[in-house]
Amino acid sequence: MTGEAEHDVVVVGAGVAGSLVAKQLTRAGFRVLVIEAGPATAWTFDGYLSHLQTFYTATGKGPESAWPPAAAAPQPDTRDLRAGDGYFVQDGPLKYGSTYTRLQGGSTLHWLGVSLRMLPEDFELRSRYGVGRDWPLDYPSLEPYYRAAEREIGVAADVADQSHLGVEFAAGYDYPMQRIPPSYSDTVLAAAVDGMQVTSGADRVTLKVRSYPAARNSIPRGDYHPVGAVDERPKGQRLARDLGQRCAGNTSCTPICPIQAKYNAGKTLAQADGTKLQVIAQAVASKINVDAVTGEVTGVEYQRYDDPSSPRHTVHLARGRAYVLAAHAIENTKLMLSSGLAGASGTLGRNLMDHPSIYGWGLAKAPVGAYRGPLSTSGIDDLRGGAFRAQHAAFRVDIGNDGWRATTGAPDTAVADAVLTQGLFGADLRAHLTATLPRHVRFSLNVEQLPSMTNRVSIDPRQVDKLGNPRPVINYDIDEYTLAGMAAAKSFYQGVFRRAGIDDRTDQEHAAWFPTVTYQGDMFRYHGMGHFAGTHVMGDDASLSVVDTDQRCWEHRNLFLVGSGSFPTMGTSNPTLTMAALALRTADRLTAELSG
Amino acid sequence: MSVDRLHELLDAAVKLELATIPPYLCALYSIRPGGNEEATLVIRSIVVEEMLHMILSANVLNAIGGRPRVAGKENAPHYPHELPNGIVMDLQPFSAASVEAFLRVENPQHPPETSDSAPATLMGRRTELHRSSARSVSAGPTTIGAFYGEILDELTTVASEIGERALFCGDPARQISGDFYYAGGGAPVAVTDLASARRALAEVVEQGEGEMASPYDEDGDLAHFYRLEQLKYDRSYLRSDTVGTPTGPSVGVDFRAVYPMIPNPREADYADPDLRAASATANRAWIRLLEQTDNAFDGAPSNLIPAVHTMFRLRDAMVVLLANPLPDSDGHHAGPTFEWEPSAPVRARASR
Repeated sequence: MTGEAEHDVVVVGAGVAGSLVAKQLTRAGFRVLVIEAGPATAWTFDGYLSHLQTFYTATGKGPESAWPPAAAAPQPDTRDLRAGDGYFVQDGPLKYGSTYTRLQGGSTLHWLGVSLRMLPEDFELRSRYGVGRDWPLDYPSLEPYYRAAEREIGVAADVADQSHLGVEFAAGYDYPMQRIPPSYSDTVLAAAVDGMQVTSGADRVTLKVRSYPAARNSIPRGDYHPVGAVDERPKGQRLARDLGQRCAGNTSCTPICPIQAKYNAGKTLAQADGTKLQVIAQAVASKINVDAVTGEVTGVEYQRYDDPSSPRHTVHLARGRAYVLAAHAIENTKLMLSSGLAGASGTLGRNLMDHPSIYGWGLAKAPVGAYRGPLSTSGIDDLRGGAFRAQHAAFRVDIGNDGWRATTGAPDTAVADAVLTQGLFGADLRAHLTATLPRHVRFSLNVEQLPSMTNRVSIDPRQVDKLGNPRPVINYDIDEYTLAGMAAAKSFYQGVFRRAGIDDRTDQEHAAWFPTVTYQGDMFRYHGMGHFAGTHVMGDDASLSVVDTDQRCWEHRNLFLVGSGSFPTMGTSNPTLTMAALALRTADRLTAELSG
Repeated sequence: MSVDRLHELLDAAVKLELATIPPYLCALYSIRPGGNEEATLVIRSIVVEEMLHMILSANVLNAIGGRPRVAGKENAPHYPHELPNGIVMDLQPFSAASVEAFLRVENPQHPPETSDSAPATLMGRRTELHRSSARSVSAGPTTIGAFYGEILDELTTVASEIGERALFCGDPARQISGDFYYAGGGAPVAVTDLASARRALAEVVEQGEGEMASPYDEDGDLAHFYRLEQLKYDRSYLRSDTVGTPTGPSVGVDFRAVYPMIPNPREADYADPDLRAASATANRAWIRLLEQTDNAFDGAPSNLIPAVHTMFRLRDAMVVLLANPLPDSDGHHAGPTFEWEPSAPVRARASR
């Protein structure tokens, strides 16, 4: 544990943020060490295929089904939510419904790929609407990094679809790839819904079904080359990179794109300068050492294990000139807390957010082609912004192409129900299923959540994992503002269903199990979107935030906490694109500083 | 030397590239799921390059005012199909024999079939040999590379005779651009003059025989011929290996983990009505694909977008055939016939 720093920068975590930082810094000539808690199985083509087999043979097809964790790097799992006996210590009052993956590649291995920019107003919630917090950054200052992020992760969309609610793009800019074609159900719904007006507070809002930006390969624009599968083998043998250069409409974006047409962070790490990069997988960062006088980080201890099924490990120290924690909002915080670096502001671990989401589902009058194509290709974004946000949460609507899969477990449960409760078989059973399944419609309404000091992750020395590292203790609640947003979202989808002639079959009692909340007599089942944010929020006042606009830790000047943990608020956009933009910004700052 | 002659040569080039595709598809989809991963990757990678080569040749032909034709009985390929240099492409499953044939397509120096007779695995099912028009139109006995060389020479000569402008008189809107063909073995080149025509044809030749100069291309990737050799020997090339002798680990080739498709099948071979219906479905998809491609080459390139869907339909129909045993056929399975105009069944039962 002595000697000169071998690396310029030590990055903890090989997910999207860490991989982007590693790529940028190695390409700028710096030596980067990435330590990753989980195995690197998805990093080889054969390994990725083995995850595909794991998914095919899994009885449940949840988001984690393709990505089982190592014993030394446990992770939350949706299946554990009901019993409450998973990796998270759910300390209430409500259960926190989201999960993430501790593998090289991170949660991008099973994300859907939605890559929305945040709205300009999302950065100014406090000044504009008197709620939440303002960001220390505004949309125009982040816009160049949004463009860079869209190129880095390969986003397919058309600016013409996305220029609304104040979102502006640089002149002449368009996304690196054309939008993924809308599904048939999108077009059927658009024909019924486009132009419909709804009232939201004092506003009249005109609705439009919009294709959303997706990190899935499509028709490239200009000189952009879609990035195919990750295939890290000896030079000369990397053949699988030809694969996945276009989305083929497979229906399992989540949990696993079988051809890697969807972005995962391995694609970015594979583009790093390999001569400057060292990646150590199966290495759990366990302690950050700091100089007691200067506060500067002097090293990161990590526990290296050889056997993913065993907690046996050895302890090592990684040293660099600068340190970047990119291990996830929860894991970054956990590592800081367990290293005794809670800080003076009292905000570390607090302001934990998600997009608690509700489902609405129904039966269309005619077949809409359910259960085909990417899980979702369009949404309704019109209630993401507006003056009503002074009163209640905004929400975003995902239109599913996967029928009632998520809400009731159809088509399997639909077959079981037809046989067991309706007594159908043979030709009648076939007729019933072909008459109903293709008409299944599903909306997911993803509701904004504001930062709150009492929604938090903390640690408890009595609650540790097999390596003796703390498990995250989660305190979580959903406040009136978000509940009122859920109620607005419910009446919204009911109105849209009526307009489109969709028979509302939403049935909370018989739906797939998710935790519940009650608001004004209505029961809502909410599911997590995997959209963790907050925990180490950025600000321009060291007494109220953990990091500054560069994601640099106020109290440890060579330490950066990157990722959605830095978000003061999240609005309604999926956090990955914004997290990527912030990571690129931080990489720029680090490059300038280390060069100086 | 004339423009007509160039039209004839380039038309043959388009048909030549097209004709290589069905044999590769038979090998690719005859591989049973869950094995032969390297073989699947290699063959897939080659077949998309053949598609790109067809597009590039069509772009050159369109650029000089021609009309590439791939639909219709007289334009669609028929099997078994003899390419220049005497290379016979059979419709057959992934096997040692198919790898040998692919090696010969990729490299004219690769030894030809050793005897006058076809491989035993074809069981005498190589009848009615159809000759590539590239054989009949070229000036003499030729290899694929030499055939393209002849085209390049002709282009240069005619351009100097009648002027580059006059030669490249095609409507630019007929070019297949990256908007309609992408992520398939490379990017198409829009051809408007002699320089872009050379670039387009150089891409075809480099991806084919041009690779022979070194096993590794400019990106450091092993060229297709050597990837096929890795399959032949079931050994991967190490950086230190000499050409022809890969000594690395196995690449997981298992010729038994393959649906044993009957070679060069005809729809008329399928007496079973279900199999015949499946074959008709596959041939309809194939014909549709050729029609869409033909239209794309005739001023409506956007036809290539729905053609992708047709390719999925063709694949699905092929897999149905390949997974089904053929009655009274020594354990062989059915397979796609790639017939434009399937003939009536020879074994149709007489009514009593």
